[in-house]
Amino acid sequence: MLLTQNRVFIITCLRCILYCASIPLLANTVVAKDSSLDFENDIVAIFTKAGCNAGECHGAAIGRGGFKLSLYGGNPAADFEAIVNKLQGRRINLSKPEQSLLLLKPTEYVSHEGGAIFDMNSESARRIKQWISQGAKRVTQRKLVSIVVRPARIYTEQLGTTHQISVNANYSDGSTRNVSDWAVLEPEDNSAVESNNTTGSLTVLRRGRHIVTVRYLTIVRPIEIMVPLNSESNTEVPPVYNYIDTEINKTLQTLRIKHSAQATDGEFIRRISLHLTGRLPSAKYAKEFISSSDEEKRSKAIDTLLGSEEFNIYWSHVFSELLRIRPQALGPEGASSYFDWLSDRIRANANYKQIVTELLLSTGDAFEHGPANYYRTITDPRRQAEFTSELLMGTRLRCANCHNHPLDHWTQNDYHGLAAIFAQLDISQSVKINLDGTTIHPVTLEPAIAKIPAGKAIQTGATDPRKEFAQWLTADNNPYFAKAIVNRLWKQMMGRGLVEPVDDFRSTNPATHPLLMDALAQEFVTTNYNIKGLLKTIALSSAYQRSSAANESNKYDNKFYSHTLRTPLQPAVHADATSDVLQVAEQYGEQPLGTRAIELLNPVTQSRTLDILGRCGREDSCETGNNASSGLTKTLHFFNGGFLNSRISHTQGRLLELMQKDIPSLDIIIEYYLAAYSRFPTTEEVRFWTTQLKEQPDANQRQEFLEDFIWGLLTSKDFTTNH
Amino acid sequence: MSLFTNNKTQYRLPRRDSIVLGGLSAFGLGMSDLFAARRSGDTNTAKHCILIWLDGGPSHLEMFDPKPNAPIEVRGPLESIATSIPGIRVNECLTGTAGIMNEIALIRSVTSPLGEHNFGTHYLLTGHKPTPALEYPAICSTVAQLTGQTGVLPPNIAIPRFSNTISGNGFLPPATQPFAVGGNPQRLDFKVRDLNYYRGLNLTRVDRRKTLVNAFDQFTATRDAGVDGLDPDLERAFNLLTSDDAKSAFNLSEESEDLRNRYGMGDSIGQSCLLARRLIQRGVPFVTVNSDGWDTHSNINALKRRYATDRNAKLPSFDRAFSALITDLKERGMLDDTLVVVMGEFGRTPKINANAGRDHWPRVFSIAMAGGSVPGGQVYGSSNLLGEFPHDNPVTPSDIAATVYTLLGIDPTHELHTNDGRPVRITPDTAKVINTLIG
Repeated sequence: MLLTQNRVFIITCLRCILYCASIPLLANTVVAKDSSLDFENDIVAIFTKAGCNAGECHGAAIGRGGFKLSLYGGNPAADFEAIVNKLQGRRINLSKPEQSLLLLKPTEYVSHEGGAIFDMNSESARRIKQWISQGAKRVTQRKLVSIVVRPARIYTEQLGTTHQISVNANYSDGSTRNVSDWAVLEPEDNSAVESNNTTGSLTVLRRGRHIVTVRYLTIVRPIEIMVPLNSESNTEVPPVYNYIDTEINKTLQTLRIKHSAQATDGEFIRRISLHLTGRLPSAKYAKEFISSSDEEKRSKAIDTLLGSEEFNIYWSHVFSELLRIRPQALGPEGASSYFDWLSDRIRANANYKQIVTELLLSTGDAFEHGPANYYRTITDPRRQAEFTSELLMGTRLRCANCHNHPLDHWTQNDYHGLAAIFAQLDISQSVKINLDGTTIHPVTLEPAIAKIPAGKAIQTGATDPRKEFAQWLTADNNPYFAKAIVNRLWKQMMGRGLVEPVDDFRSTNPATHPLLMDALAQEFVTTNYNIKGLLKTIALSSAYQRSSAANESNKYDNKFYSHTLRTPLQPAVHADATSDVLQVAEQYGEQPLGTRAIELLNPVTQSRTLDILGRCGREDSCETGNNASSGLTKTLHFFNGGFLNSRISHTQGRLLELMQKDIPSLDIIIEYYLAAYSRFPTTEEVRFWTTQLKEQPDANQRQEFLEDFIWGLLTSKDFTTNH
Repeated sequence: MSLFTNNKTQYRLPRRDSIVLGGLSAFGLGMSDLFAARRSGDTNTAKHCILIWLDGGPSHLEMFDPKPNAPIEVRGPLESIATSIPGIRVNECLTGTAGIMNEIALIRSVTSPLGEHNFGTHYLLTGHKPTPALEYPAICSTVAQLTGQTGVLPPNIAIPRFSNTISGNGFLPPATQPFAVGGNPQRLDFKVRDLNYYRGLNLTRVDRRKTLVNAFDQFTATRDAGVDGLDPDLERAFNLLTSDDAKSAFNLSEESEDLRNRYGMGDSIGQSCLLARRLIQRGVPFVTVNSDGWDTHSNINALKRRYATDRNAKLPSFDRAFSALITDLKERGMLDDTLVVVMGEFGRTPKINANAGRDHWPRVFSIAMAGGSVPGGQVYGSSNLLGEFPHDNPVTPSDIAATVYTLLGIDPTHELHTNDGRPVRITPDTAKVINTLIG
C-alpha cells in the first residue's frame, strides 16, 4: 500500500506540465544605432515588470486569452511575432498608436481578464505608444549582459526599515544603464520582507535571514537581508576547531544567536556512529569511549568509524538511494552488478570524480559491468538529463524543458542539448553508443543539438559525445559538480544542506553560508575528491560537535547551527537500531534472517515495519521525504503491532539474556541506556528508576516492568532521533 | 460573517499562550471550548465536513459541466442527462446525483493556474498556492486545529488514506495530521490495524508504557528547550485503542447489507463514504474520502465502463456513493449539520487527445457542494461554450477554502501561528467567500 511513491512531493517546475507551444524562429535582430526605443531592452522589460509574461498570465506555456508571451521575456523574437504579427496584426495600430490593443488591454480600455495593469498616463504606456509610433520595429542597440544590484546584502537591526534598491544593467556595447524602475523585487517570503515595486524598495518585517530575488528581463540576482534575532550581542563565541567554525560563528554573531554547549562524549559517539555507519555504538563501546581519558579519543573514533566495514555498508546504501538502484528498473542481475561495483568503489574510498566519470562513460553489458546501469535507471534522454543535473550538478534543469528556467540562466537549448548527448545511446541489457540517436527540440522541432549546459555545442563526429560532457562536468573549476556532492555530504552530517533543497542550486537560492560552501568545495577538489576526508573535516568541527540541547533563545534556529539539529532516524536506520538494542533481527521479505534494513537492495521488500517507518521507493529522489505513516498510525503500531512487542521478550533477546544471568534490574536498565542512548542514566534518572523498581517486588512483575521500560525507551524521542 | 467580527479581539490570545493551547488541544483541553462558544450562536453552520477527493483531476466535462452542444472532440463520447432541476444537466452516468440535484450546488467556474498534480493538490486542499517558504496546512487539518479533539476519535480522518503529495498538517502540530484508516473498506474483512492489544498486554500495561515514554521525554525536555515533553500522538493513540465504542465506528458490518449495497460494493469509494458517515455520526469534524484513478489521460470512455458488466468504473461508482451518502444523511437528519464537498486538483483538457483521453486542465473545472446550509439546486458560475475557461463568476481554490470555512462556522480571516510565532491567515488575503452558497 505504502510502497509505491507514485507522486512524491518534489517541487517540479509547474509550468512544464502544460504543453510546450512551438515558437517559430524569426530573422536575426536588427542592430540600429538610433535613439528609437529598443524592443528587447525597453518594451519587453515593461511586460516583465507588470507581470504580463509571468507563468500565471500570458507567460503560461499556452498563453492566456489567445495571447502568448515567452516566460519573463526569455524569447524576445517570439514576443515580437506575437505582438506585431499574430492576430492579423491587430495588437498594433501604427496609424493610431493609442488605439493599439497592446495598450487598450492592460489599461483596461477594453475588457481584460487580468484587469487594469497600468494607467494610460504611466511611463509604461508612454513607452509602448512611443515604440509603436516609431514603427513598432524590432531594433536593438545592445545586448543585456549582466545586472548589478545594490545593495546586494542588507543588514539592519530595526524592523520596519525601508531600503531602496538600485539595479544597473551592463550591455554588450560596454554601456551601463540604471534600470531600477524596470526591475522586479520578489521576496521569497512575503511575510518577512515586503516589496514595493512602484518605488523599488524593500521593507523588512521579520527578524532572521531573508532572500529577495531581483529580476530584470531574464536575469535574476539575490539580495540577502540579515536582521539580528536578539537585541544583545553574544558575549561568548563558540570554540573554533577548524575553518568551518569561523564561518558558522560569523553568522551566529551577526544574527546574535546564542550557541549551545558542546556535546558530551555520549552524545558525540552516538551521533557520529549513526552518521558514519548508520548504526548505534554497542553498549560496550559506548562505555569504553565515555570512560576513556584519551584527549584524542574523538578524532580517533572518527578514524576508526571511517575505516570500518560498517562505514562501507552504510554508505553503499546511501549512494544506492542517490543512484536509485532498484531491481524493478534494472533487473535483479543489473541491480546487483551495479551495487557490487558501487560498494567496491566505496570500500576503496575511490575518488568521487573518478566514480562519476566511470558512471557517465560506461558502456557494455550492464549485467556484467555495474556502472552501465546508470543509463538503465531512467532510459528517456530528457529524464536522464534531469536526473543527471539534479544528482551531479544539484540543479533543476527540468524547468528548462518547456521554457528557459525562470529563476536561473538555463535555457531550453541547455536542457535539450544535454538530452541530445544521452540520446546517442542504445539502451537495452547493454549500453552502446549510437551516434544516429536524436531527441527533438520542442522549439525548432528538429533534432536538438548536443551541447554542454551553458556551454558550446559538441562537435559532430565525436566518437562519444559524453566524453566532452564528463570532462566539463568533472573539471576542477566546474561551478556545480563539487558543491553538489559536498552539500549532500554536509546534509548527511549536519541535518540540513547549506543549500536547500539539495538539488536546487541557483543564484537566487544562495547557500546560508556561501564562503563556507566555497571552502568545503575547495577542500574536496584539492584533496582529490576524497569523500571520507571531507566527512572527517566536518566531524572535527566544533559546529558538528555541538550539543543538540537548545536554549530558549536558539530553539527555533534550524539553519545556522547554533545547536545540532535533532533529526528523525532514517527509517532503515531506525529499524536496524531497534533490532540492535533488542538483539533480535527482523525478517525482511524472503531475505535471510539477520539481513539489515540498510542492506535491502529491493526497495519494496515486504516489511510492515518499513511500511510504518517509511521507505525510499527509489523511483524518484527521496531527498524530500520518505513516505512514513502519520504519527497516530505509527504510535498505534508501536503500541499494538509486532515491531516492538514481538521482540522485547524474545528468548534470544538482550532482556532475557541479562535476566538469565541474574543481573540486577537497575544494571539491566543501565545496560539499555548504553545500548540505546550511548550514555549512562543521570542521577535523577537512576533515582526515578530505583523508585519504580521498588514497586515491583516479584520476579514476574519485574520482568513486565522491564519490558515496559524497554518499550518506553525505544519509543522515546531521544531514541527515535539523532541528536 | 458579521458574527465573527469581534472574534479576533475576543479570542485573540497572547501569542505564547495560543501556541501552548494549540499543542494541548490534542488532549481535548484546547481551543475547542473557545470555538464552541463561537459556534453555538450560529445554528446555520455545519459541524462536520466530508470531502470526497477525486485524486488525479476529474473531468469537469464528464461530470458536472457537460457540453452537449460542443463539437464531438470537446463533447466527448459520453452523453448528458437532465436532472431534477430544469436547465441543469450532468453526465449520463450520474443518474443518482441527477435525482437529488435539489440538494446540490455546482460551481462550474473554479479556476487555477496550477496544472501539475502536486501543486494543484496543494492549492485545492489548503486554499493556498504552494510556496517554498512555508508548508500550509490542509483545510482538514486547520479545522482539526480549530475544533480540537471532540472525542476519542481523531478529529481528522482520511479513508483509506490522505493525499500522497502533502503531509496535511503543514506548519500545524502533527496531531492535526489526517489519520489514515488504511486497508480497503469494501473488503469484508476490513478493519483498522493495530487497534487491539497485542497478545499478553492489557490496559494497565499499555497505560504504564505511555507513562514511561512521557517520563523519558520529560527528562529530555528538561535538558533541551526544543523538545516537547509530551507526545500528543501517544495520548491520542492510547485513548483510541482503549475505547471500544470509538473502535466500533470502523466496523462496517454493523450496517445492513441493503444500505451497504446502496453505497456500492465495487469501487472502494462506496464503503469509504459509508464509513465517513459512521465517523461523522460519532462527532468527527472532518473526514476525507480519497478516491484514486481520476487522472484519465487516455480512454475517457473507461470512466463509464471498461467491460460489459463493470461495476467498478469511476463515474457510476462515484454516483452511487455520493447520492447514497446525501440521501442517507438526509434521512438521518444529519445533512444540515454536514457539509459534503466533491473536488479534485483540476479539470481535464476540453479537447480529447490522441489517446481518446483528456490531459490536465486547471483553467476551469467544477466542484460540487451539498449539505450544511448550502442552498441546493443551483449552479454558481459557468465555463465558456467549450469548457475552456470561466465565462462568469470565476472562483479560485482560495475562494473555495474561504467558503468551506465559513460554512463550517470558521472565520476565513482567522490567523494561526507557526511554531516560531509567525501569524498566517487560514486563507490568503485575496480569498472571497461565495455568498450565494451560504444559506
